[in-house]
Amino acid sequence: METLDRTEWDVVIVGTGLAQSLLALSLSRSGKRVLHLDANDYYGGEEAAFSLDEARAWAAKHAAVDVSSSTHSHAAITTKQDDPTPGEGGDRPRLASSRAYSLTLSPHLIYARSDLVSTVVSSQIHNQLDFQAVGSWFVLHPRPPAFSITRLSRVPSGREDVFSDTALDLRAKRSLMKFLRFVGHYEEQGDVWEAEKETPFPTFLEQKFALPPSSHAPILALTLSQKPGSSTSTAVALPRIARHLRSLGVFGPGFSAVLPKWGGLAEIVQVACRACAVGGGVYVLNKGIRSVEKERRDEEPSAHIQLDGGENVSTRWLVGLDNDLRAVLQGRPARADETVATSRSISIVSSPLASLFPRTSEGGPIPAGAVISVPSANADEPPVFVLAHTSEAGECPMNQSVLYASVALPAEQGHERLRQAVTVLLDNVTERDPQEGQVKPEVLWEMAYQQTTPVSGDVQIGDDGVITLPAMAQDLVFDDGVLGGVKQAWQCITGEGPDVFMQFDAREGVGDDELND
Amino acid sequence: MADSTTASAPKPSSSVKLVLLGEAAVGKSSLVLRFVNNDFQPNKEPTIGAAFLTQKCQLPNRIIKFEIWDTAGQERFASLAPMYYRNAQAALVVYDITKPSSLVKAKHWVAELQRQASPGIVIALVGNKLDLCEDDGPEQDQQDGEGVDEQQEDEVARKVSTEEAKAYAEEESLLFFETSAKTGHNVGEVFTAIANGIPEASLKGPKGAGAGTQSAISAAQDSTRVNLNAGNGNAGPKEGCAC
Repeated sequence: METLDRTEWDVVIVGTGLAQSLLALSLSRSGKRVLHLDANDYYGGEEAAFSLDEARAWAAKHAAVDVSSSTHSHAAITTKQDDPTPGEGGDRPRLASSRAYSLTLSPHLIYARSDLVSTVVSSQIHNQLDFQAVGSWFVLHPRPPAFSITRLSRVPSGREDVFSDTALDLRAKRSLMKFLRFVGHYEEQGDVWEAEKETPFPTFLEQKFALPPSSHAPILALTLSQKPGSSTSTAVALPRIARHLRSLGVFGPGFSAVLPKWGGLAEIVQVACRACAVGGGVYVLNKGIRSVEKERRDEEPSAHIQLDGGENVSTRWLVGLDNDLRAVLQGRPARADETVATSRSISIVSSPLASLFPRTSEGGPIPAGAVISVPSANADEPPVFVLAHTSEAGECPMNQSVLYASVALPAEQGHERLRQAVTVLLDNVTERDPQEGQVKPEVLWEMAYQQTTPVSGDVQIGDDGVITLPAMAQDLVFDDGVLGGVKQAWQCITGEGPDVFMQFDAREGVGDDELND
Repeated sequence: MADSTTASAPKPSSSVKLVLLGEAAVGKSSLVLRFVNNDFQPNKEPTIGAAFLTQKCQLPNRIIKFEIWDTAGQERFASLAPMYYRNAQAALVVYDITKPSSLVKAKHWVAELQRQASPGIVIALVGNKLDLCEDDGPEQDQQDGEGVDEQQEDEVARKVSTEEAKAYAEEESLLFFETSAKTGHNVGEVFTAIANGIPEASLKGPKGAGAGTQSAISAAQDSTRVNLNAGNGNAGPKEGCAC
């Protein structure tokens, strides 16, 4: 293997999370010498995707309950089978081999109007990515006081849906149509909502649009707000619903959001890193940094970095997540930001759950994802959201499916809520097997963990040449702010203007004309 | 991306994703450059820039369009991502016949492919830099000649015998060739042999590459795909790169 010792770089980037990887790509195409390191032996950092074996190793590493230095904690795996060997034998549904799975830590929805979509297109990396549609939104209605009686209903997200919804009476339909029309142009109608910014959104719906409480859950589901309805303000909810509606139909009929096939944002990471390597970036996995010594050289700051293994490299800029850099930078203040804990789980389900993925349009793509909101019977508790993926998303074998559940509660309460929500969801999905009639879907494997993230994060550009990128927020939807931070860091390092950020010509080289014939 | 309706040529045409693997500096990119451009650049820098080349291979009854993925130098620090070999239907594992360690590395890559790649992937083991071994080129056409002792005398630079590599290739059911990217010797043959080795069943027209283990449901798979170039808003593409 070649050595990195005594090499000089313009930028050393630590960690291969999404933000770092997009930054690496943008810099490599601006002629910067980029060394991109990851202490892990896999790509993706906090947005990685894993086989079962890799997930087991990850969970062991993140089982600790200390949240001061790590985004992930409280990781635990439960599996129905002691011996997950692959095989056709036996009647019971089984886990397939480890590598048949690609379970992601970042199952984010990406709305069609997200800057991330335009960036992967303008940077040409979409040619090596597959995106799939998130089709339906469902609400699993709790009927107080018992949680056990529930109803799974599709959320109407457009005009046609509203008219065909049998759960609404005519008056409610009219109110809902009026509301959806309003949200489409809410910015211009400040008189309706600006005085109500801080009003709980359900109150706003009831008072301004005469929408009965029974219709609130589906509307709240479209916000994907992880707060309880009673603490989701009108100012937060309106732009989120508008985002959903405005993304409808952008890339085809019947869906507003997409997911990257093969493991969520982890896949974008891998493709971006490869594109960066093509642009001259150098990649080294399994190598972290041990120490950093800063100095000024020719009036410019620079850093001498000792890597795991003992090689020394020097660089003008050092970039990474705060969590990754704090340990090696002396005198760095402890993280003071306010943090929020989210419980998450990944469940492999023994059947395809086909009823969650109906076609949402004629001629549109077949959905590979669905969203299920599971509000708590107690209005002051946060809802559970479940993102369901079919095997077509490339994360599990055929005839199985994957559920990614999350709730804005720490692990102690959150994991139980998630387990309950997944159980109730599976109780409410009817699966028909052509041979055996009805079959009951079961969870074959589950990993639960806690994610602790800063409430708000900005990119920090130090005059010592150290740039810290914020960790990904808890949101279920990809936050365009991440991309904003990357762009800011890129502008600072390259001195270039914002208009050319990630604007690359097709770079297929020889034979390009044949590629698209 | 290509649309299947354009595949109206008399011969059926199929795309095949082919990945290059092997130690740094064994001549992976040079082999491809010879195959695609019939060109050779001595003292070539480690690969950056060209990462994705295509070349058609004409067979009697069909056309195979290779989508050739170069490593972009990511093998140098063992940092190739899984997406690199996912869904590859063919792999070219290259070693340098003057460098025994490169065959060790090649064996590692073969094991990795057998573990990670789609089942049924066609793997060709290729010993490159035959031109560095004097008199080897023409004799190679008769394949492993009897005069082993005599050959060793002549081949100052050769460090990996044809027999050793060939025996390994047979054991692992790999296609095997010794090539020279510099002279072009055997280069075309490698790709033709790979094209012939791809089972007809795994070819599915121009969008064939990428189906991998899920080939049985390729029709359904295509229709889950969202075309980002279809955007009608500001999220749409700025370059008309993908027809």
